[in-house]
Amino acid sequence: MLEEPREEGVSIHTGFPNPALDKSLDNLDLQQLLIPRPISSFLFRIAGDQWENAGIFNGDIAIIDRALSAGKQDIVVWWDETAGDFGVSHRKDMPEASTMWGVVTATIHQLRSPL
Amino acid sequence: MKPVFALVDCNNFFVSCERVFNPSLEGKPTIVLSSNDSCVVARSNEAKAIGVPMGIPAFKIRDMLRSNQVVQLSANFELYGNISKRIVAILTHITPRTEVYSVDESFLDLSQLGITDYTAWGKEVRTRILQEVGVPVSIGIAPSKTLAKLGAEQAKKQLEFEGIVNFFGMPPHTKEQLLHQTPIKSIWGVGRRLEPRLRAEGFGTARQLAAMRPQQAQQTMGITGRQLVSELNSISCHGMESLERVTKSIMRSRTFGEDTNQAHILEAAIASMATRATHSLRTHGLLARHIGFFVDTNRHKPGFRRWNYDLHLDMPTNDTGHIISLLVAKISDFYNPGHRYHRLGVYMDDFSPAFALQTDLLGYVDTAAHDKSQARMQAMDAINKRLGRGKIYFAAEDLSKSWQPKRTGQSPRYVSNWNELPVATIKG
Repeated sequence: MLEEPREEGVSIHTGFPNPALDKSLDNLDLQQLLIPRPISSFLFRIAGDQWENAGIFNGDIAIIDRALSAGKQDIVVWWDETAGDFGVSHRKDMPEASTMWGVVTATIHQLRSPL
Repeated sequence: MKPVFALVDCNNFFVSCERVFNPSLEGKPTIVLSSNDSCVVARSNEAKAIGVPMGIPAFKIRDMLRSNQVVQLSANFELYGNISKRIVAILTHITPRTEVYSVDESFLDLSQLGITDYTAWGKEVRTRILQEVGVPVSIGIAPSKTLAKLGAEQAKKQLEFEGIVNFFGMPPHTKEQLLHQTPIKSIWGVGRRLEPRLRAEGFGTARQLAAMRPQQAQQTMGITGRQLVSELNSISCHGMESLERVTKSIMRSRTFGEDTNQAHILEAAIASMATRATHSLRTHGLLARHIGFFVDTNRHKPGFRRWNYDLHLDMPTNDTGHIISLLVAKISDFYNPGHRYHRLGVYMDDFSPAFALQTDLLGYVDTAAHDKSQARMQAMDAINKRLGRGKIYFAAEDLSKSWQPKRTGQSPRYVSNWNELPVATIKG
């Protein structure tokens, strides 16, 4: 067994080298599916339980892409100037006093939190 | 090819980053304070208008801040770093000839892009960054870096330019006026040291400096001063520095816990050192064409020996697995169980940029080596280290409540902590 030089109090033990050390890179990449444009994509947390019938739950993660232009049926995140917070709704339901922030391209609902 | 430079400069960068996730700050005088000494490190336009000076310790202007209801935020460098990387990514997609000058400024070499209308190009870039990342930028486009920087500065100050100052095709009197409106202290390269000397000799504006005789410039400011005057007169003296500035070579080495004659331990060491070296390559956005490793016996023991293996690759790479397999294959060339190996190192050089591979957010060029940027990056690292421990998290149960902007303190780590993501409330 080898011990790497200590860095910030951490030592890493390495055993016999795995010839395919980067094996994990061969897995399908969820980022590729969910966040094809990382430059303009941001994550939000959904608050509210009105959309459970639509499969969107309180605490879900929403992926927002700012590069997309929103269609009427898109779900979008906007700044609510009256309430001073972010709202999420169909584009057609955006109130007057609001500013578009980005288009929701996916929500992630975890059944068990790994964190 | 005639030189064409653009400087893309983020407006009030730290404040703009805060406004992306907290639009309620829009229109309010806002300042960002450094975390350690609480000095002003960024000001919104409203704060500038009130007269908040840059760099001043906040306690010295407490009354001014209070009476004007200035919002004070502690620097959130994780957020600024993330937003900065996104902008750099957009720019390097436009051209790999991008020099990241600091966390909020990049030079682009436009000479080879075949652009016919630089102003239209600048507007497009500006719109794209504003839409995709949410940060307003100012752009100066000119035949020299000094003029590009001056242009971006004026584009920020004079709203009628709509964020773009393009010196190409600019009427001479407009250029004269721009130079006239630029005090020498805001010229790139005129430091605090030079300013009083130039003023004493009667040079107060960029226009006056541009008219300085070359000999006099050299006498007063040395060769860099002579270049400065040339640059103001559209003669480029400073090229792109990004590629020259980045790391020239990477080496990762390790001394074994005890001297070994085991081949598998050498393999493991190569794999581990190559993994770390290639990680570094990728974070610099580089590919290596020359890779190699060395193995030593203990130099303090009799019979000290060193073996070196070099490989010149046809295709530059930063692929960890590929590099490991190439290097490990060389072990049999020298391996002899009669030797006691003491130390092993993997090195790489002959770099080229990996722009074509930049599809994830981890691999962007991070070449900023300038003083200003270094100071900021050091501060950022220090703060990240400190926040890594003991920072209070927003409890998951509180997610239903929107985050309430605070008067002071640090904004949440919107883009770097799962527990601090911005919240969107269902309204519809």
